[in-house]
Amino acid sequence: MFGLIAVGFSLVWGVMHIVNLSHGAFVLLGAYLAWQLNVYFGLDPFLGMLPAGLALFALGYGLQRGLINLVVNAPIFITLLLTFGLELLLVNGLILVFTADYRAIPTSYAAHSLILPGDVRVPFGRLLAAVLAIGVTALLGYVFKRTRTGLAILATGMDRGAARLMGISARHVYALTYGLAAGLAGAAGAAVGAVSTFSPADAGRFTLFSFVAAVLGGLGNTSGALLGGLLLGLVEAWGGQLLPGTLINAVAFGVLVVVLAVRPQGLAGKAFYASRVEV
Amino acid sequence: MDSRMFGFIGSAALAIAAGCHSKGDAVPAAPAANAPAAEPVLVLGASLSLTGSLAREGGLTKEGYELCAKVVNDKGGVPVADKKLKLEIRYQDDTSKPDTAAQLVDQFNDQGVKLILGPYGSATTEAAAAVIERNGQLMADVAGADDKIFQKGYTRTFAVLSPATQYVASMVQALAELAEPKPTTLAFISADDGFSKTATAGGIAKAKELGFQVVAEEYVPNATADVSSALTKIKPKNPDVILGSAHMVESIAIVRQAGELGVKPLAFGATIAPHTPDFVKTLGPAAEGVLGSTQWTTQTAGSDKWFGSAADYAATFQKQFGGREPAYQNAEATAGCLALILAAEKAGSIDPTPVREQLAKLDEQTFFGPIRFNAAGQNVAKFMSVIQIQGGKPLNVWPKNSAQAPLKWPNNATAKAAKTKG
Repeated sequence: MFGLIAVGFSLVWGVMHIVNLSHGAFVLLGAYLAWQLNVYFGLDPFLGMLPAGLALFALGYGLQRGLINLVVNAPIFITLLLTFGLELLLVNGLILVFTADYRAIPTSYAAHSLILPGDVRVPFGRLLAAVLAIGVTALLGYVFKRTRTGLAILATGMDRGAARLMGISARHVYALTYGLAAGLAGAAGAAVGAVSTFSPADAGRFTLFSFVAAVLGGLGNTSGALLGGLLLGLVEAWGGQLLPGTLINAVAFGVLVVVLAVRPQGLAGKAFYASRVEV
Repeated sequence: MDSRMFGFIGSAALAIAAGCHSKGDAVPAAPAANAPAAEPVLVLGASLSLTGSLAREGGLTKEGYELCAKVVNDKGGVPVADKKLKLEIRYQDDTSKPDTAAQLVDQFNDQGVKLILGPYGSATTEAAAAVIERNGQLMADVAGADDKIFQKGYTRTFAVLSPATQYVASMVQALAELAEPKPTTLAFISADDGFSKTATAGGIAKAKELGFQVVAEEYVPNATADVSSALTKIKPKNPDVILGSAHMVESIAIVRQAGELGVKPLAFGATIAPHTPDFVKTLGPAAEGVLGSTQWTTQTAGSDKWFGSAADYAATFQKQFGGREPAYQNAEATAGCLALILAAEKAGSIDPTPVREQLAKLDEQTFFGPIRFNAAGQNVAKFMSVIQIQGGKPLNVWPKNSAQAPLKWPNNATAKAAKTKG
């Protein structure tokens, strides 16, 4: 689930070279949307991933075309500030609309567990979220490798100038990428609502986690981000067995430091966009 | 998790925002006492967590302050010397960050606002208390329960609420007095912030004193939504009761993930969450039977001339906020405001020093229970209450003399069956 959030973050970085600090806010928008759908129509949060993803895709597409595209060539600090500002706006907007109350989307099954031999329990909700995250990432991988649109996104990420010469509209591709990332975040948000609690203040936590997971896996590499997310989750779970409290975070970041020192390009190996040419 | 980069950008943005605020506030900021032409007002400053991780609780605190101002002003204002002063509370948002809270209290001082209503939470209160002391301001602490705040020799911070050590200890005491058959093994899960750790330490000390066996003591990151590591470690020890000293997110996670992981104690207890409506809304039936400790309930004994009894306070609150039941965070905020007003009235002045003298001597019965401070500034006169979620509602079960319902024990039939088998 965290992996799915990181995949979108990594995608935006890879193609557009933007560290999207508003990513966590998109996750929450998705969570609140799924929550609203659940309250009014009784829609299951995992089914709610689809409408939440689509709505956030549309929002992301619009935001990129209307706002972020204005600074896409600007120095990274400008894009950082813009996306950070966007996050503040969205989070405080959420506080205004939904208040800062903690919420969760209840289901009849998410809290039940699959009991494996040795009394290992896997909660259904989390299992479903993990399966969906891997499925969506695999689908994304297929789209990138096998479809014209996917190839266009990759090509633009590698060399915008050349892509343009081939007749690819960079503006459209960028908006599509940003929309995809927002859509993935929104879908993940709906899943977060099903297995955990959320409130507007969680946005920073989601952004930070996706940042770390994406760097761990190799920035710009979507399957790497998923891998990074899974690894980070495992490290936190095991770290929690050995160390108390906040020190768990020290273990998680320790792993990040080690990975960056030993393999600066991230776990997944090839630095896909390392040879990118800015035109 | 927090990052330096966020911190940097956050503080830059905040500095800009704070700059704008102070400019905007500069005109009406002249001390009220020096403005004879206008209606005389008593200005209180409040730095609150209106955004950030404590926004929910900060919002409740603000409502408590707003209610205080409304009730006092509707009754004509605070009688100080021969005047009746309208109560005006100025709010600033500390974004749940201690250093910002300290800066904002300093800003209030620059504007001549000397009487301060406390922020939400121990960390912010601790930061603000240091500035209060230096500036010679005076603070009514409404939600900073950590005993550490009162071990530094500050003389200008007075807490109306019971100290942190009482939060878990009161639940242990209630279990010892009310639970039949008496549980024997307790496990403690604590968030690792100062307040929660102090509360846990108080609970463990009480448990040992009362002859319980403490089988586990686990610490989880503050505000984490995943406590599965701690629960996995606790599971083989099969405790009768799991007591959480944590905020809303961790408390919900403890109950929810215990269900997921098959950890089945006879009961759960959690310090500050169960009393808040979100807890039951989020957990649904799983919240049933969970114990909680609270600073205040509508059954709390005592009354005062401004707000009446606890039940009267609840009625006033419901009228003001669309029929919603007050949470204890609302009540403790109002109680802090009340303490300052009572002290100002007795002092016949709004100067912080005479008000401080009167506050230190205060011995009053209020809707919040008795308010009387020890030398360190803690309210040692009042009890915490213990509630249990029964039928989706938090009902007061301890102390017995103000109980709304008997303790349901063991609260969960399947847990009982599993325990007897085990």
